Amino acid sequence: MTNFFLQALAEVGTPSVMGLIVIGVLFGIIGGSIPGFTVTTAILVVFPFTFAMDPVSGVSLMVGVFVGGYSGGIVSGVMLGIPGTPSSITTVYDGYPMAQRGEPGRALGIGVAASFLGTLISVAVLVFFGPLIASFSMNFRPWEITALIVFALTLVAGLSSGALLKGLMAAALGLLITTVGYDRNSNLRFDFGLPAMGSGFEILPVMIGIFAFSQLLGNIEKLKDESSEAKKIDTNVTIPYGQIIKDMAGQKLNTLRSSLIGSLVGALPGTGGTVANFLSYDQAKKFSKHPEKFGTGTPSGIVASEASNSAVAGGAFVPTLALGIPGDLPMAIMMGVLILHGITPGPMMFEQNPVLVGAIYASLLIGAVVMVLCNLLLVRWFAKISLIPQQILVPVVLMLCAIGAYALNNNLFDIWVLFIFGIIGYLLWKAEVPLTPLILGVVLGDNLERQLFRALELNESWMTFLTRPLSALFLALAVASILFSLYQDRKIQRLKGL
Amino acid sequence: MALALLLIVAVMWVESGSIAPPTSWQPYGSALFPRILLVVIGSFSLLILVRSLLVKAPERASAKQLVAEWFKSRRTILALFLLFGLYAALLPAVGYIATTISFLVASLALLMGIDTRRKWIINLTLSVTLTLVIFVVFRYGLNVWLP
Repeated sequence: MTNFFLQALAEVGTPSVMGLIVIGVLFGIIGGSIPGFTVTTAILVVFPFTFAMDPVSGVSLMVGVFVGGYSGGIVSGVMLGIPGTPSSITTVYDGYPMAQRGEPGRALGIGVAASFLGTLISVAVLVFFGPLIASFSMNFRPWEITALIVFALTLVAGLSSGALLKGLMAAALGLLITTVGYDRNSNLRFDFGLPAMGSGFEILPVMIGIFAFSQLLGNIEKLKDESSEAKKIDTNVTIPYGQIIKDMAGQKLNTLRSSLIGSLVGALPGTGGTVANFLSYDQAKKFSKHPEKFGTGTPSGIVASEASNSAVAGGAFVPTLALGIPGDLPMAIMMGVLILHGITPGPMMFEQNPVLVGAIYASLLIGAVVMVLCNLLLVRWFAKISLIPQQILVPVVLMLCAIGAYALNNNLFDIWVLFIFGIIGYLLWKAEVPLTPLILGVVLGDNLERQLFRALELNESWMTFLTRPLSALFLALAVASILFSLYQDRKIQRLKGL
Repeated sequence: MALALLLIVAVMWVESGSIAPPTSWQPYGSALFPRILLVVIGSFSLLILVRSLLVKAPERASAKQLVAEWFKSRRTILALFLLFGLYAALLPAVGYIATTISFLVASLALLMGIDTRRKWIINLTLSVTLTLVIFVVFRYGLNVWLP
């Protein structure tokens, strides 16, 4: 463990990789601080630049964006009262009132410090639990892996937006997309006579199309509803370091609890930063001696929010690296990037690519330090950048997505794939179909089919899935997650009816 | 949406008939997995369709009016899709630099407007600078050749 970590640290510690982490963190913070841009879009924009890089450099850059992105939401949350990313909604509850009270520097400082500590604690969780889960899952055979993927998809479909039917349908649609082209037996499927379809769709243009178009065009639609222009804010912020140290000294338990909640929630498929954010804010309020102060600009609220959403970063890596099952959208894209670099996340990754796993740990740690420095030194600039209007951002990001899709294989067909799936993604989004299960289906489709058929080739009987204890457990959990979602849906309907 | 998905499922089900059958050593063929998925998608689409029919629909305008309203309220989005489609179509013929500058100028004009000189300057500066920076980074920094 120490050996491969030191080796990884040596690789990540080179000036070029360190430079990439700094660029990644900077871009992530900028992405996170612009309302409507989100961490996921920032990752999508950066990924084409990793094509020509070696795996360690590419992954380090992406991890930098990841760490920066989760912390970037503080800036717009505090300065504008608008969460930069959905995972920093509760930061606004206390950060904005504190800024309005004339203490924006204190709010930003507390948020950055909590983000830093949250990331560090989540890295500890990743280092401790990642290898444990990976070594446990080494015993998984095709039946268990198939059942686990089914469970992950049902969980994500059920949790994504309360629309269970649409979520399950979206997951199946995502899986269906992966069946286009030649399969593992070299049989051609669904090419509709088009030679370009023979090799199937690349995962990344499909994901970018589905996510980016719906997100960006959705932002344009929202602009029409919001009559007010971006508010004029005073960007001359100074951080009161002494006050921040005093504030944080009184928040030790809150920081630890919120970071653990963030790490755990991050490790569960289908949840992510937003859930962690609300859950830890709620817990901090329940445990507080002064719950009435929450929402008025208390440091406890900012700490709970920022420590938890930053801790999601490390937690989310646990199932992705250990099981090959990404928990949320940014992780699904990170997994796409790893696959692109010829690395298949899963239990074997810890054995086959220990240095790369170590590089991810090291990048997370270095990224956290860089994030603090960047945020504290450049906060005024980030506050200015957070005012970039969507009218400029949308065309630029669309262009970058197109170039990214093309640069993947120097293939124009991939731009058309991006375009077609952009239209599909937008229409599905308009029909309120959750897109996370769809994207997860696209990422996991190949593996699910491969494992399912390997299981059936080893034993033709479908009953084997129910007679093997672990596989039966995962399938039972899948059914339970569907039933739970149905129960939740009913409860919501009943409350709406009252 | 449910109807459109049912149509897609039907087309793909027919198409799945042309997938090669299993060989003697395969317990199941290549069509099995997509067919399972088609059944799942078809069933859920049908359920969504039935549910939407059971919910009492509010009084609505005529279909023609609805379509007209839909297009009117989403003119900008439709125009952006059109511009992106044009961009994808022209990229191989005209090349990266000219097509990208044109795409950015047109889409920025569409979203920001071009009613003041300042907006024109921002539009042109951003379009040209960004296109060239991306070109240089990809070609000379990353060795990726753009069309």
